[in-house]
Order: sequence, then C-alpha cells, then structure tokens
Amino acid sequence: MRFSKWARRMPALVLVALGFSAASAAWAHHSFAMYDNEHQVKLKGKVTDFQWTNPHVYIELEGVDQYGEDKSVKSWTIECANPGILDRIGWKFNMIHKGDEITAIVAPLRSGEPGALLKQVTLADGNKFTNGVPAGPPLIQ
Amino acid sequence: MRETRSDTNVSTGLRSRALAMAAAALAVTMIAAPPAHAQAQSAQTSAAKPQEQPKPAPKLAGKPDFTGVWDRQAVPVQPNARTAGGSAQSPNGPQFAGTAPPIKPEFKDAYDAEVKRLADAEKRGEPATSQNTMCLPQGMPAMMLAIFPMEVIQTPKQVTIIEEAFTQIRRLYIGEDPPKVEDAEPGFYGHTGAKWDGDTLVAETVGLKTNVLYRNVPHSENLRIHERLKMIDADHFEDEITYVDPQYLTGPWTWKWTYQRRNGYKMLEYVCEDNREFADPVTGQQRMRFKTKPDNKQ
Repeated sequence: MRFSKWARRMPALVLVALGFSAASAAWAHHSFAMYDNEHQVKLKGKVTDFQWTNPHVYIELEGVDQYGEDKSVKSWTIECANPGILDRIGWKFNMIHKGDEITAIVAPLRSGEPGALLKQVTLADGNKFTNGVPAGPPLIQ
Repeated sequence: MRETRSDTNVSTGLRSRALAMAAAALAVTMIAAPPAHAQAQSAQTSAAKPQEQPKPAPKLAGKPDFTGVWDRQAVPVQPNARTAGGSAQSPNGPQFAGTAPPIKPEFKDAYDAEVKRLADAEKRGEPATSQNTMCLPQGMPAMMLAIFPMEVIQTPKQVTIIEEAFTQIRRLYIGEDPPKVEDAEPGFYGHTGAKWDGDTLVAETVGLKTNVLYRNVPHSENLRIHERLKMIDADHFEDEITYVDPQYLTGPWTWKWTYQRRNGYKMLEYVCEDNREFADPVTGQQRMRFKTKPDNKQ
C-alpha cells in the first residue's frame, strides 16, 4: 500500500521537532550531502554482495522501490557506515549473505545513479538495524 | 537538516601559500562531532553511578598514566556560534571547543571565502572531496578528535596514541625536546617531544606538512602545536591544544578536548581498503564509484 507523501514524512517532522538531527551530529568518513535525505526510498530485494570493508560496508541489492511508480528491479549499491561503527551498534560481519531477501530504507544519490546511503535494513529474520548515528535515522517506514 | 562537515583537510602536492586555500578546496569535508558512542557511554555512566566519587588517576612511575582506550567527549553546542560552513566541529560550527582561529588579515578573506565555498557546496548537495575521500589520514591535530576510539599506551619514556580511524599513530617522547624544524621531516603527525610539568604532560609537535590542515586553517612549516595533557580523574583526561604559527596567525589558537575511558574495548583494525568515493575529474565533487553497474557513467 502506498503512503501519501505527507504521511511518509510525518516521522521526519516529528524527529525534527524533537531536535533529533541536531543531537545526533557525528562523524562520517565523508560528507553525506550527495545523498537526498529528504526523499528516502524503501527497497526490497535480493542481496548480490555484502562487503565488510573500510572505509565503508556495502550492500549490493537487486531491489524494487516499494513506493515508486517504477516496479522494475534495479541494481543498487548501498553504502553503510564503517565496520567499527556498525560493530558498536550490534551488526556482525557475517549477518547478511548473498541471496538474502532484505528490505532497506535508503537516501538515494541526488545524481539519479543507483547508489544510496543506508538508513535502516530489515533482515530476512525481521531484525532491524540502523546505519549508526552519522548516517541518520530512517524518515519513512 | 543534517549538516555535513569540513573539519580537517589535506591536499596533495600544493605547497605555496597562495594555493593553500585552493588546496583546501580539494580537501575537506567530514563530519566531526563528538562520537555517538562517547555520548551514549557518557549517558549510561552518569545514569548508572550518580553518587559515585571520581577515582584518582592511575600512576606510572609516579606520574599520571594515560594508558587505556578513550572516547572524546561531546562539546556543548554554542548557541550563538556561526554555523556557516557546517555543523559539528567545523571552523564556525556550533560544537567547536575553541575560539575562531586568529588568522592574519592578509589571509582572512581567502580563508572565509573557502569556508563559504565549501559550505555552499554542501548546501547544494555537491560536496567537495576530502582527505578521507582519498583514504588519507587526518594527521595532527585532527586525529585527536578521536572520531573513533583512541588507545593510549604509556611507558616512562613514551606515550603512544593510536586512533582507530585510519590506524593513525603518534608518539610523544618523554624527556625530549622536539627536533629543530629544519631537522624535522614533514609528516602527517609531526615529531613530538614531551615533558612533565607536575602532573601535566606538556608536549610540543613540529614537522607537520603544510597540506595537512585542520578546519581549513593554513599554516607554515614552522607551525608548533603545544599540548597540555592532564588526567582529570581515573576515567577522564583533557588535552589543551594550542596552534602557534606567527606566519599565519596573529596569536595562539587554543582549544580543549576531553576524553572518557571506554572500558573493555579492544581496538579494531582499520585499513582503507575499498574507497568508493572519488573526486569527479571535471567538477571536483565527491561521487560514488560503482563496481559493476552497466549504467556506470564514470
């Protein structure tokens, strides 16, 4: 079911009202300004690679935009934080595998290329993980 | 919304004063607020032990012992701080622990223009690349930001500081003066001599590459970084850092960072193995490199 844009942005407004974004400023390997945080996308699909490396962990996903008009499968490169940040919030280097069905809320590249910054991933077993404080929270569900 | 930040920068190859600011253009942008884990740990600690008195600092050979793993503590937001140029620990950001750098008038316009240019690029969603984008370490003094946990190992003659991010390492030689500038091979971390002033370890660092910048502030090869490292109690220490460079600054530029012990943490390795951010050769903007995409436009 498709949410209205307004409904999808409600959590964002609430978080802003709480000053969450100001309180959560933290370091990242590089600027995240190339990602469009205001137009987050929910992707669902199959993992083709999970790369646990510095300076970033990457998920390669054959995913479909759950709220978009275009329902075709696209190859997404999803940037995660670094192994240290993720370790410290409970991720494990082997918790995602090639072939896993996952759902990812991401901030896509402003350029329109199929790359994105992870906000939250839901694993096949239903467990949810954020991408750490620097990447910021998901603003849609 | 989220502000991303230029905090340190390094450019490669450009050394002249005139080009120092242009160098910064190719080299910035990292968020550098207090690490989240530090804030979280701090909150837990204060909640769990509200009444406990701080324990005195441990000693080694009669002097305070900084050995341990540490997180830098959050710096309170300065409500009236200028935020142009980004958030976090940026030159004008709300969480910077010190005053504005006292840049000499003849360099001030270029500095301000560069900070503005980088801030504008961020706002447009077209961030410039940084030393991190090139997988280069932060160097001194930015590595003392301890963006990730920082380990200190002390012996009577040496303090070794290891920052998890980029596996940055510096060594403070106790009982030694720093080398003369003309004998100090320029590097990212410099060469540090240190002496005890009572229970304060007073360190002086020379030999920093002029393209290793902190907050875009230009410096000469004669930059001297003074530090006063002091244990506050068993689980906290502070580092007062002072930039002295008469060529670029009208006076000392000082700030203080404090650190909180992170008990039981084992440092992780950090090898900058597969960096997919790159500088667009035409625009200089930061972009993402794709591995196998047919529609990869690189």
